[in-house]
Amino acid sequence: MSEASDQILDFSQEGAIIVGTIRTSSVLSAINVAEFGNEVVAYVESRPGVNLLLNFENVDYLSSAVLTELLRVNKAIEGVNGKLRLCSLSKVILEVFQITNLDKMFTIYHEDREGGLRRFQRALDIQAEEAAWKEPS
Amino acid sequence: MSTPFFREEFPSTFEAMTETLDRAVAALLREGWIQTADEPCTRLCLEEALVNAVRHGNDNDAERSVTISLTDCGESCTIRVSDEGDGFSVDEVAFPELEQMGGRGICLIRHFMEEVAFDSSANCLEMSFRRKAM
Repeated sequence: MSEASDQILDFSQEGAIIVGTIRTSSVLSAINVAEFGNEVVAYVESRPGVNLLLNFENVDYLSSAVLTELLRVNKAIEGVNGKLRLCSLSKVILEVFQITNLDKMFTIYHEDREGGLRRFQRALDIQAEEAAWKEPS
Repeated sequence: MSTPFFREEFPSTFEAMTETLDRAVAALLREGWIQTADEPCTRLCLEEALVNAVRHGNDNDAERSVTISLTDCGESCTIRVSDEGDGFSVDEVAFPELEQMGGRGICLIRHFMEEVAFDSSANCLEMSFRRKAM
């Protein structure tokens, strides 16, 4: 179920994963890019162990200021032992990550929301299986 | 030097900057320098240059202004963004460390534009690109 009203993102719970869909490119403009970071960081910090899939399907491009906010979000996710994945990146956005080498820091799914969800869930399943194997019998 | 087909001066606020940015991109589209498909890359470069001017050049001081001009130079379009700050050397802007919080704007401009330079005599960042094919 989606939460909230005048937010920059729509958050929805899909099993063990939260999908954060950025509503439009304009919400990432210089005027409110810091609000974007604040909103995601606040959301993450109130949910220890969150598995967050950030969905860029409504975003045409993003500036270096958004990358800075994503680095903040990544730190916040690490701080709560959560996981961050990105999906639905346009060609230009993917290029921005590659130019800045941040494609090496973030896990990017080259798929849409549904494909990203399936891959994220599969990764969580594998991790759970590995953890079960390591448990003493 | 040709007369710019677009020139605007605005106070150093992000609100004013965003309005000018929209009009500058519209002018590039109208003059045929970019097509709709090229808009994201071009908008990105303009925004990076304008944000640098507002934030780093003019220190977000609304009393100081930023000027942007777009000029048809025949083979290429030249974008000039000037501010009232101390200036900087484009060549001395290092590629940022992976976890560094800022400093990626110039890298992006360098990638998407064909030429980038800072004219210290005019306190002006200059960048140019060739007409995007239809």
